[in-house]
Amino acid sequence: MLKTIWTAIKVIVLVFFLSVLHYVLPQHDVGRITSTEIIRTDFNGMNRLFYAQADSGASELTTRDLRLINAEIKKTWFLGFGQRESTKVMVYRNEDTGWIWPPYFKFDSSDLQAQAAAEMSNKQNTQWVVITHYGWRNKYLTIYPNAIGVRPVDGPDVTVIPWFNIFFFVFLLVAFGFARAVWAQFRQRTVDPLVRDAEDSWDSVSSNVNEKRGRIGRWLDTWKSKK
Amino acid sequence: MGLVRLLIFGGIGLTILYFLISIYSKSVRRERLENQWAEDHPEGGDETAREAFVERGMADYESSFRPKLILLVYVIPAIFVVVIHFVTTYT
Repeated sequence: MLKTIWTAIKVIVLVFFLSVLHYVLPQHDVGRITSTEIIRTDFNGMNRLFYAQADSGASELTTRDLRLINAEIKKTWFLGFGQRESTKVMVYRNEDTGWIWPPYFKFDSSDLQAQAAAEMSNKQNTQWVVITHYGWRNKYLTIYPNAIGVRPVDGPDVTVIPWFNIFFFVFLLVAFGFARAVWAQFRQRTVDPLVRDAEDSWDSVSSNVNEKRGRIGRWLDTWKSKK
Repeated sequence: MGLVRLLIFGGIGLTILYFLISIYSKSVRRERLENQWAEDHPEGGDETAREAFVERGMADYESSFRPKLILLVYVIPAIFVVVIHFVTTYT
């Protein structure tokens, strides 16, 4: 039972961790920009988490305008690996992440909005673009992925190599290996000797206790009715 | 304000990392010295001489260039911030 709970906790933590990575790491969509717009937005407690903050130079109020980029993008298979023929509409928000989470250090939302407007095209005369973004679109929470960059490309069949994600996962592996090495060293050099010492002193303490218990127990036993 | 917050919390986090890495590095160094002594003196050798050998080795390590490399813990993230910012903004 305890083992099942422990496994469940581990799975939940892993899923949460992977979800955070999936939310935060950059992804690339191929498509065309159909329009850009600005809507006034009132956040609530549920979806506030999925928005960044006011522009870097502006002050934070409860209500503000939100830049949106509307696009029609190519559908992809699982996690963006492999493109499909069909398309879907997608709406991106375009917010400064500033110096704060997630660490894109993006301050150029206005410029990106202008660039997105410049790359706007129609079905007949399509200007294909690669839109780099992070985040999720969810209709029920009304949240949008945040566009990070727009890059014009010749056609829809571009191969985007996710350099950042490759470096990130290599770094994550190295960091994990290093943390394990540190932990092993700490155990071997610090914890194990302490445990040995503690076991030694625990042995002497517990033998004392046993002796005391013996005496108290014998005294307690004198109160029990003799059978 | 955001920058100040980043510097403060980033500084705290990196300082913790810096101390963890320098403690780890010293520990590895000390273990290596102890192993070397054990190799040179299979029957154990003199305890005070062993202590002096290890302490001398540690002092050599402290004054060498290697522990200063751990300061890269501060430099590399700063470079990353600048690079990511420039890639995000100017490409």
